[in-house]
Amino acid sequence: MVYKCLLEMVFGVFCSKAGEGPAEWLLVELQGEMVSRQNTGLAGNLMGDLHYTKEGVPVLVVGHHILYGKQVKLEKPFAVLMKHSGLPQDEEENMETNQENPTSYTVSALIKKKLIFKTRPKPIITNVPKKV
Amino acid sequence: MDEYDEMYGIEDDFEQQFADELEVMAEMDREHPPGVKVSEFRSKKPISQTFEEAIVSGDVPLRKSVNNQHPESISPPVCEEEESLTPKPKKRRQDVVKKLQFGVENCDDITPPSSPEVYDRPARDGPGFSLSLSPDRSAATKITTNVLDISGLTALQKSPKQVTTARHAQKRPPAIGDYITVTDSMGNRVYLNKKEDKEKAPDPRAFRNSLNGLGLLAVPIEVLKEQIAERRHRQVLEESQRLTELMNSGISPELLAEEQKDSGVDGDSGEDEGLSSRLWVDQFSPQHYTDLLSDDFTNRCLLKWLKLWDTVVFGRERKPRSTPADVRSNFTNAQNQNQSQRFKTKSQMTEEILEAELDQYKRPKFKVALLSGPPGLGKTTLAHIIAKHAGYNVVEINASDDRSAELFQKRIDTATQMKSVLGANEKPNCLIIDEIDGAPAAAINILLATLNRKDSREGEESGGNALKKRKKKQSVLLRPIICICNDLYVPALRPLRQQAFLLTFPQTLPSRLAQRLAEITRRHGMKADTGTLMALCEKTDNDIRACINTLQFLHSRGQKHLDQRSVNSISVGLKDQNKGLFSVWQEIFQLPRLKRKRIGGDSFGGFDEAGPKDGTQRLQHILHLVSSNGEHEKLTQGLYDNFLSMKLKDPGMLGVCAGLDWMCFSDLLNECVLHGQNYSLMRYFPFLPAAFHHLYAANSVPRINYPHSNYEAFTKTQHTKNALLAMLNDIPPAVQSRISISCLCLDILSLLLDLISPKLRPVNPQLYSTREKQQLYDLIDTMINYNLTYRQDRTPEGQYTYVLEPNVEDVVHFPGLPPRRQLTYQVKQLIARETELERMRRVERAQQKRNSQKTETVKKDQEGKKTEVKKQTNRNHQQRLENIVKQTVVESRPELDFFGRAIVPKEKPAVTTTSEDGKGGGVVHIGKAVGNSDVWFRFNEGVSNAVRRNVYIRELL
Repeated sequence: MVYKCLLEMVFGVFCSKAGEGPAEWLLVELQGEMVSRQNTGLAGNLMGDLHYTKEGVPVLVVGHHILYGKQVKLEKPFAVLMKHSGLPQDEEENMETNQENPTSYTVSALIKKKLIFKTRPKPIITNVPKKV
Repeated sequence: MDEYDEMYGIEDDFEQQFADELEVMAEMDREHPPGVKVSEFRSKKPISQTFEEAIVSGDVPLRKSVNNQHPESISPPVCEEEESLTPKPKKRRQDVVKKLQFGVENCDDITPPSSPEVYDRPARDGPGFSLSLSPDRSAATKITTNVLDISGLTALQKSPKQVTTARHAQKRPPAIGDYITVTDSMGNRVYLNKKEDKEKAPDPRAFRNSLNGLGLLAVPIEVLKEQIAERRHRQVLEESQRLTELMNSGISPELLAEEQKDSGVDGDSGEDEGLSSRLWVDQFSPQHYTDLLSDDFTNRCLLKWLKLWDTVVFGRERKPRSTPADVRSNFTNAQNQNQSQRFKTKSQMTEEILEAELDQYKRPKFKVALLSGPPGLGKTTLAHIIAKHAGYNVVEINASDDRSAELFQKRIDTATQMKSVLGANEKPNCLIIDEIDGAPAAAINILLATLNRKDSREGEESGGNALKKRKKKQSVLLRPIICICNDLYVPALRPLRQQAFLLTFPQTLPSRLAQRLAEITRRHGMKADTGTLMALCEKTDNDIRACINTLQFLHSRGQKHLDQRSVNSISVGLKDQNKGLFSVWQEIFQLPRLKRKRIGGDSFGGFDEAGPKDGTQRLQHILHLVSSNGEHEKLTQGLYDNFLSMKLKDPGMLGVCAGLDWMCFSDLLNECVLHGQNYSLMRYFPFLPAAFHHLYAANSVPRINYPHSNYEAFTKTQHTKNALLAMLNDIPPAVQSRISISCLCLDILSLLLDLISPKLRPVNPQLYSTREKQQLYDLIDTMINYNLTYRQDRTPEGQYTYVLEPNVEDVVHFPGLPPRRQLTYQVKQLIARETELERMRRVERAQQKRNSQKTETVKKDQEGKKTEVKKQTNRNHQQRLENIVKQTVVESRPELDFFGRAIVPKEKPAVTTTSEDGKGGGVVHIGKAVGNSDVWFRFNEGVSNAVRRNVYIRELL
């Protein structure tokens, strides 16, 4: 019998370093999903903290969960492209300027690595019983 | 009358000995009516060549058989020499007596000598030696009375020389001169004057022959003379032979044969030239049962066993056998019967085996006969002859064949189940497995399996179909198998031994062997007297093959005359002759015993240990012995262990020193050989035993112990080394770097052991003064540093003691010295406990040290991080964790005071207030931080996309 695990992926992209040339981002892959508590949506909220242990194991702390993952090199690197189109003010102009002002793409970032968190998260216990 | 009685006695013996054999043979010889044989013996006039006659006249059939090979030699009539070889000793003696020209009237009175040797020699050598009994030397005869065993002086007095003896005999002892007192059977005593006889100057040869007294020359002068004469004779013969050959080159063979006959001895040897390529062993191997030289009883047993197979192989019925008691009762010789009952118990047992019932397939109880015995006794020959005799076709497997398990199985099956249909030899097979002790165990197991194969459906045989029946029948072993081995007690043979009919070969009787050898030598024209042949037998330990091979060897070298000297000097090639270590040691430490001197022979075996020639001979002997043994190392150890227990007669211990020097030399040699692979030096090894022999050999029988000292020393060394290594291994490196095993063993340990047994009061260490405590602490420190402790041990008596662990006390304790002072049990116990504790403490301390370093680094890291973090934002987990830590610290505080009342911790609010969010309270704060964060993570477990359906068992059924 074959079980196939379906991974629901949530992509998070982090900017690791800013420098000259395109920035390098990281892909974050989670087995699970991020849920907002008050149904307010995820946008703008702090997701959690990402750390690395000394051995280089990525640790993600989300809510009261702590996740251990690993860093994997992508087989095919991704590039994050930004599309620049000749802004269409009018239809005609657009038709006219189509030739001389073509849409262009700029590479804003490269993604060569990803972090996979697929193990079951461990809870961070806050409510310590007073007497053991 | 007397003579007749004697003959009768022989017959009696014969009947007794060979009754069983005769019976069996009579069975074989079907045409022969069984009742006749006794009467035939009685008649003593054999008419035709039957078995009985063959046995009676011993070597006649042998001669016949040999004659078959060379028909020319039939033609000469039975001469006197041949007559003397027949195994009728009594008659021969009479011949001798007659030859010696005793009067006819003397014949009856002379009892035959106890040892036939005495007479054999004169008989063979003819008049030259008969001189010793010739009448003109009657005085000499008197002196040698004991040797010749002539009882009764009356006979001598009746002899023709009686007159002369009577002249010297006096009724009273003579007044002057030596005399000999002689008392005859009647009780008359006479005194013989000795002086006068000496004047007669008897033949010096007689003296020497009888007394062996004047052995100034190593080889008696007669022998030398004889040798010279013989050499001359041989030269002449050779010359004449050459001439005859030259002349006969064109002449017809009949003429040649005749001439050869005329030339006698020479002719015989000439005829043999053509056969020289053949081994005499083969040439003279027995062709018939009656020719066998080996022990009659063994022969008979094997033959009987083989005859037991007749029922199944040939389909003959066994005749019920008359009981041996009946046969014996015919000859009521009480003494003989007693003897037989006393001595025949083992053989009777063997015969009982042979009498046992056949099994369900009409096979004998034991399917295999196992012959065992030293080499050269004719085991293989016996097996072949008997199998042939009983009408079998012999199939032999021996060591030179491939004896792997499968091939062995195949060969057994083909031999036992098949039969040649075509061809002349339409006989059933008899399998002979020679040298089975060398076969692999697997092969022997296959043999066993073959033996034990059972016809499982025997009961159904009548009802079963024919094909099946035949198939089944084939699988059962229905043919005899004879196995032959040298060593019966090889481990591989153990299972076979229980299922086999065991026959051990006794030594061949030297007299029989010598007789056969004499015949062989005679056939080949060699001259050899019985004494020489006996010496040869003795030298080869009655090994027939070795004897005959030696004879052939000597013959091929052109020695036509065999004397004792050449026999002694020749190194006989023997098969499988290894002497055990113990016998080698014994020979090294013991001087060779004086050999009994043979009459007329030159005693060559060494009678004077001081003689230089003898010394060299002993040296050669030891060298040969040792080099043939080969186990040099073990041998040397044995010498080393035993040489001091020999009886040494040098007060200055020079001999011992010399021996030890030799030991050193041998050791160096051994080292050289083993290190440099310089094996050419190995030939000097045997000189050590030879030197030991010359240094320490004594006349008394040495008591030799098996050498243990080397092994003991080795194990002790190993033990000590192990203890030291165990100690050294766990010593801290700082100490370890300064000590090695040797330095530990030689310099430190004895002192260290004194150091670690100080005087301590046997009281509770709590009560020690500070000085004592310091002492104890130092002691324990030392012990730990040298990795020593005390271990509780239970003695076999059930008492508990503390011993040093590792136990290095034995390393520096010499045997014989008083044991060093031991601490008391309590003190040792105390030390052991304290050591253990101190060790634990140290480990803990070391761990703590390491941990503290670690924690420090961790703290530094954290602080570094903190500052870093604070620059950016407050990491929520950090706040939380800090809070958690604080909380737990707060909560874990003891809440009760000394009297058990609850204490309201005053610091608690302070701690909470110091936390960042202040008023919210710890729980709320934490809940907000961890539990109530805006985003949380929901883990997706694995999902199966397989279709799941309930299946009930009933649907499957």
